[in-house]
Amino acid sequence: MALPNINTNPIKAVTRVRIWYGVLLLVMAVFGVRLFYVQVIRYGHFKNAALSDQLKQYIIPASRGVIEANDDGQLVPIVLNQKLYTLFGDPTYVKDAYKTAAKITAIVGGNTDDVAKLLQTPKTRYAVLAKKLTPDQNDKILKLKLPGIGTTAQDYRTYPQGTLASQILGFVDDSGTGRYGLEEYFNKELTGTPGTLRAITDISGVPLASSASNTEIPAKKGDDVVLTLDLAMQQQLETILAKGVKNAKAPSGSAIIMDPRTGAVKAMANYPSYDPARYFDIDSKDVGIFQNHAVNDAIEVGSTMKALTTAAALDQGVIQPSTTYYDPASWTVDKFKITNIEEDGGAGTRSIADILNLSLNTGATWELMQMGGGEINTKARTAWNDYLTNHYRFGQATGIEQGSESEGYIPSPKENGAGIDLTYANTSFGQALLATPIQMAGAMSAVLNGGTYYQPRLVDQTIDSAGKVTKHNPKVLNSNVVSPEVSKEMVPLMVNVVAKHYFTPSFDLSKYNVGGKTGTAQIAKPTGGYYDDQFNGTYAGFVGGDTPQYVIVVFIDKPTNGGYAGTAAAQPVFGDIAHMLIDESLVTPKSH
Amino acid sequence: MGPQVTRRRPRPQLPTASEFGRKHRPDYVLVVLCAALLAIGLVVVFAISPALSQAAKVSNSFFVSRQLIAIALAIVAFIATAQIPLHVWKALAKPMLIIAGTATLVALVTPVNPAYPAHRWVRLGTLSFQSVELVKFAVLLAVSGFLASRIKDETVNTVQSTFKPLLIATLVLGVFIAGPQKVHAQSDLGSMMVLIAMLGAMLFVAGLKLRTIALAVGILAIGIILVVLPSAYRRDRLTSFLHPEANCQDAGYQACQALIAVGSGGMAGLGLGRSVQAYGYLPEAANDSIFAIYAEKFGFIGCVILLGLLAALFGRLKQIAERAPDDFSRLLVCGVLAWISVQAIINIGAMIGLLPLKGITLPLVSYGGTSVIFVAAAIGLVFQVSKYTSFSAPIQNEKLIIGRQGNDNSRDGRRFRGAYHPDPSGRR
Repeated sequence: MALPNINTNPIKAVTRVRIWYGVLLLVMAVFGVRLFYVQVIRYGHFKNAALSDQLKQYIIPASRGVIEANDDGQLVPIVLNQKLYTLFGDPTYVKDAYKTAAKITAIVGGNTDDVAKLLQTPKTRYAVLAKKLTPDQNDKILKLKLPGIGTTAQDYRTYPQGTLASQILGFVDDSGTGRYGLEEYFNKELTGTPGTLRAITDISGVPLASSASNTEIPAKKGDDVVLTLDLAMQQQLETILAKGVKNAKAPSGSAIIMDPRTGAVKAMANYPSYDPARYFDIDSKDVGIFQNHAVNDAIEVGSTMKALTTAAALDQGVIQPSTTYYDPASWTVDKFKITNIEEDGGAGTRSIADILNLSLNTGATWELMQMGGGEINTKARTAWNDYLTNHYRFGQATGIEQGSESEGYIPSPKENGAGIDLTYANTSFGQALLATPIQMAGAMSAVLNGGTYYQPRLVDQTIDSAGKVTKHNPKVLNSNVVSPEVSKEMVPLMVNVVAKHYFTPSFDLSKYNVGGKTGTAQIAKPTGGYYDDQFNGTYAGFVGGDTPQYVIVVFIDKPTNGGYAGTAAAQPVFGDIAHMLIDESLVTPKSH
Repeated sequence: MGPQVTRRRPRPQLPTASEFGRKHRPDYVLVVLCAALLAIGLVVVFAISPALSQAAKVSNSFFVSRQLIAIALAIVAFIATAQIPLHVWKALAKPMLIIAGTATLVALVTPVNPAYPAHRWVRLGTLSFQSVELVKFAVLLAVSGFLASRIKDETVNTVQSTFKPLLIATLVLGVFIAGPQKVHAQSDLGSMMVLIAMLGAMLFVAGLKLRTIALAVGILAIGIILVVLPSAYRRDRLTSFLHPEANCQDAGYQACQALIAVGSGGMAGLGLGRSVQAYGYLPEAANDSIFAIYAEKFGFIGCVILLGLLAALFGRLKQIAERAPDDFSRLLVCGVLAWISVQAIINIGAMIGLLPLKGITLPLVSYGGTSVIFVAAAIGLVFQVSKYTSFSAPIQNEKLIIGRQGNDNSRDGRRFRGAYHPDPSGRR
């Protein structure tokens, strides 16, 4: 045959190739139509679906405001921020967990086995391996380029002054929330306004640089806070208090130095204290140590109240500084006997100065009786209650810039048929009511500064993110606590107490006015009544020249060093504080 | 004849270049189209390299350089298959089948790479390749040769000589490549479908009776249903095919993310450097899902261009098949067409939510050396065939033309330009 027999049935073969090609073209056409449907007609739907996956909103954390205080005319930071790094691992990327863990622990420390175990955690893509890496450690880790290992930066509080003023400051917990003290009170202002970043991200949430639709609202830094505290004074006060509490063999104590002319707290200390940078070391049963007891704990202030009772009686004009009376050493009120527990001089004629100097419960009760025209009655109770709550502002928060301030408690003067007269007799010498040391300092300042109650305060100024300074001026809450005359009369009465008590070293009262009043408060049992063997020692006093320049309140919790708590435990601390202020030339001496 | 006792077995009757007739200019358009597809793939891989290398923790140039090496090897393979005569390749079909089978078995017993459970890789030191690609190449040559000889024997439609061996071969392949999950960690049904499509396409062109075709299609349909239904893994993929937007988290995740990528591309696409889905949202962004990323970048317009390029490539293959010098080469070209077109359809169909996900590559475009190299090798064979095509291949009028032979010289002059067609002057 001439023709090579190659194609058995070429027509059929070629036709079939064409049929098949036709089918292919048809499929391509169907694909084209489908693509038109998906990409053009349903574009909006899929665009939204894509964005709902890809577009993520991020909170840009605002840097927390710093806290500063005055030190010899200079602003010195006492709370700053520090960037530390959290080390995490994505176990799905980690090939050799033990080898990786060993490299990590060589830099950040810790147990290699524990880290390796974390790196083998099943079903997680984020295992925190270590916290608070320093920038240096962070650099070293990142240089290793370990697969599946990364770090994130986080702001942490740092305290250049160590434990100084820790209970005033409070701390910032792991979630970035201020706890206790200033951090709690000013949490919102210190936190600032977080910014937001809306960005197209990769699947793990890292914004893509190539995306044009990223929008960013920058974070606004939190306000800086400048305290009224004087750092040198604060340091001294903490040292003196610590010594005083130890000498008194007491579990704890608090002390305040306030400028009576402005209500500004110059120093405020609690002992024991803690390190706010290591707040997490405190056992959960010991969280009481976080409290600023001078603000958070209301106590029965005891005989220091007698100075205020005297001032109230003087201001009402029912007694004069020179008034004398017969003290029977015991009054019977509501069938209960009121006696003196402190330095009882027995029955006899007593002066107003004696009431304070000898700390006569019967004397304070007598003063209350004078407010009622000679007996404790509704008039006496109402008048004294007015002084306690409206003039001295007990029973309500002072508004000092501290978290969880205690309001204290003042009993209602209304007849309750359950011995309200006895209760009120008790309040005249500081029992049966609750007040915080800061309330005591505020009231005492008002009595000594001419009769103006300034709101106790810790903040001198705040500075917002734009640098705008807001000065916190002294705030008058009551301009007529006592008359200026009474205020003047109270000074010698209180100086007399100091003069009659033993201080080492003694004060040069010709140059300085140092006055005060002790308090040995009985401690109420939770079940009612009072402990016979437990007392709080308190002291409220002042130091100054022509006028009182510092009001000092000391509280020593249940001292066990013997003697009356007020005299034996609190008074020496007051003495040391007053001497410190004088020795540091912080007090302007008398001009004549 | 007598003394020739030790004479060698007669050479099989293979068409030689001289038998094919004059060699002419090969089909360079075919090469240009393939180069265009390779370039598209390379550009996409380059553009999403930051995302890929970040996820894989390798250097930024890792994927592009790997793909460039693959393309270089593909060019070597192409030159080899284009230059080494077809009859040599035909002769190599059987040894290659044995090697491919062995490789598949090796891959079966080798621990499966947990990152790619549905792929089977053969590892030779640092080199690794997907044995199934070699299987496709070997099957292509073996079946072309087998069917060409059956055509010659006119036994294409016989059970004993054609269907039985092919069925047995298919079953053996099926067990190894897409066997039940008791045998495989995850069976490669996608590749098996491509192999069956190649086989079917070649049988179809070889002249299978229509009745047999209908029967085969029926059996295949039942088979697919039987294979798909009992396998939860595949059922998940089928479910997600039917409702890709319904469960974006589990089995439908990849299909759903692919559709989101395609849809969010819109008319003109996000632009070359602006793919977002490649950043971890869409799995296998450079390999199986590359079409979706391309669609996201270049939009509907880009997709139409890509589909057009594919259609043009299919068209060239179809034309070469039409004009193929003999049955073997025609079947070979048809096998290549089936390979590339079915794989492209399965791949793209899955990306646009029309077909279930099968985990196979888009030929020439997808990242991945094995696929690129073996597809290039197959194209090389076609390229060689294109040197011997004949325009005279008797199209629908062959009988008529043959009938007129010698009577219409002017027509002959126009139509019988090809070197392959019998010379009307009877020189042959």
